[in-house]
Amino acid sequence: MFDYTFQWNQALARLPRMLDGAVVTLEVAVLSMLIGIVFAMILTLMRLSDSRPLKAIAATWIEIARNTPALLQIYMAHFGVASFGIHFSPFTSLLIGITFNNAGYLAENFRGALKAIPDTQARAGRSLGMSSLQSFRYIIVPQMLRISFLPMTNQMVWAVLMTSLGVTVGMNTDLYGVTQDLNALTFRTFELFAIAAVIFYIITKIITLGARLIASRLFRY
Amino acid sequence: MFETSLTAADFLFLAKGAGMTIIVTAISVVIGTILGILFGVIRVQLGAILSAPLTFFLDIFRSVPLLIQLVLANAFLGMVLKLQLSGFFVACMVLSLYTSAYCAEIVRGGIDAVPATTRRAARSLGMTWVQDMRHIVMPLATRVALPSWIGLALGVMKDSALVYVVQVTELLKSTQILITRLQEPLFLLLICGAFYFIISFPLARFGGYLEKRWSND
Amino acid sequence: MKKSALTAGVIAAACIAGAAHADKLDDIIGSGKLRCAVVLDFPPMGMRDDKNEPIGFDVDYCNDLAAALGVTAEIVETPFPERIPALMSGRVDVGVASTSDTLERAKTVGFTVPYFAFEMAVTANNETGIASYEDMKGHTVGAVAGTYEAIALEAQVNEWGDGTFRPYQTQADVFLALSQGQLDATVSTSTVAQATVNSGNFDGISVVGKAPFDTDYVALFTNRNEYGLLNYLDLFVNQQVRTGRYAELYEKWVGGDLPSLVVPDVYR
Repeated sequence: MFDYTFQWNQALARLPRMLDGAVVTLEVAVLSMLIGIVFAMILTLMRLSDSRPLKAIAATWIEIARNTPALLQIYMAHFGVASFGIHFSPFTSLLIGITFNNAGYLAENFRGALKAIPDTQARAGRSLGMSSLQSFRYIIVPQMLRISFLPMTNQMVWAVLMTSLGVTVGMNTDLYGVTQDLNALTFRTFELFAIAAVIFYIITKIITLGARLIASRLFRY
Repeated sequence: MFETSLTAADFLFLAKGAGMTIIVTAISVVIGTILGILFGVIRVQLGAILSAPLTFFLDIFRSVPLLIQLVLANAFLGMVLKLQLSGFFVACMVLSLYTSAYCAEIVRGGIDAVPATTRRAARSLGMTWVQDMRHIVMPLATRVALPSWIGLALGVMKDSALVYVVQVTELLKSTQILITRLQEPLFLLLICGAFYFIISFPLARFGGYLEKRWSND
Repeated sequence: MKKSALTAGVIAAACIAGAAHADKLDDIIGSGKLRCAVVLDFPPMGMRDDKNEPIGFDVDYCNDLAAALGVTAEIVETPFPERIPALMSGRVDVGVASTSDTLERAKTVGFTVPYFAFEMAVTANNETGIASYEDMKGHTVGAVAGTYEAIALEAQVNEWGDGTFRPYQTQADVFLALSQGQLDATVSTSTVAQATVNSGNFDGISVVGKAPFDTDYVALFTNRNEYGLLNYLDLFVNQQVRTGRYAELYEKWVGGDLPSLVVPDVYR
């Protein structure tokens, strides 16, 4: 009945290549998070502005990012936009796709966080002589980031998991891509993907534990 | 704007894919929610230490890419255990557990949001644990949990786009098959995206509305 | 009376033992259904007609095999990377999926004798000016992840030390990327290249020459311990050639010079 022979040594011999892939996966995730946060800030400002077109653009971005599959967004960033003659490498396409997604979700988190900050605080800043931008920058943003720190950690974990979708746009240097390549070569599907799963698990644990550590340092008061 | 060679038969083909997306999502959300409520209540009742194995098990589904979960489950059930399962079954099974892992967190958060004093009051009125759960905890926890649950259900629908790896032809896979034949990637991807959006957007809005309404009183 | 009961018992035992020892060949004949893994974005071997039904050389080959076994064929679409997992998980019985018979893969599955042989061709985007295999040096090239040609091409790019190699998950994605200009050139089987360029679906790409890779022999595959079935499949491939059906199918789907399935200077 159970005549499947596990050949772990065949898969473990490829561990160094997979670890190289894990580094690329982290690279994409971190970059997409950093750029995503910047775009989410811009989207949040656009939403707060009085300009209707700006509001509409921000709302469109956020709703599309939140209401369509990430795989579709990444596929679109590669094969979709190429219909307009715009070409991105697999790495860039994946980065754009995940960043687009991150920015949409983070902007929504920021909006929720802003609601939790009383209006009076910004007004207090203004009455201390700050410009409206200054009061946003020094009073609102730090609190906003603090309130949305947990959702940001979750989004970071999501970003790591989403890198696995890069294979659909020709990416083969990230952890999932490397594993898929090795699988096509050797067909040791279960062993290879089990090792990949363990590496992913460790990465996400490091992120959540690291975030908790940072939070306990930063938000002691 | 678009010249297309998309025929009525192709639309029917896409509709079939969309139907598959909805069926897989519906089955997984229903089973995942039942399991999630069960796991969530068990975790609250047993406490952190006793429920640690369950917590660890559920955490795996939230820490490993869904694509890998599907490939591994498929390889393990089929290649190692030699079970003759359809791709559809494997897809629903993995997505159900995936859903339950997130749902358990939501349920736990909901129960924790019910003040301990309220529950003690219920028990001191002579209510049994079941009565307390049924008449006090459930209505209060649902208010906290429902908006997140709607978000989860929609998330599962979007994530179901990945079940193509176990040979289930859902909406996105159907779209790719048509792209292969018709070579109109942008147009077809837009149709596919529009479908997800039309289902997801109103429900997400409704969830946001509930959240706002219920948090104000 | 006693004797007949004993006989019945022996017959029953033999039946049970027989059932327990049934191999895959018996299972297929017994179930009346042959499930073939076929890659359907690999024209002209496997593709879909305008009703989205599977057609192609491999589809016909599977139908012939089913007819020979006296069962009905069921085509299971499997992307290239999913061919072997689909077999190992019992979702298909036989792979009729243009699979190269590499030694690495033979550690996992059992291959028959070759049932088809591919030459490799270079297809390029017209705007790049690539006119031969060597011209690809320094360009962005790609192929279907995990295939024979992808492995050889990636090795070549590394040897040149110049240019980029990109694997896509499906043959369709490769040609889509090529016609969009995301890839400058690709190496694929010449049959697929010709069929794709002739389909007229892709603008601005053309087959520019041969790739100097060894002939890519492809074989049917099934579980490596199913000798009964493997024997049957070997004979089936042999009969397809002997009866002229192989030539007929080749003419129907590909056309031109019929490739020899005999590897020179060696048995098997």
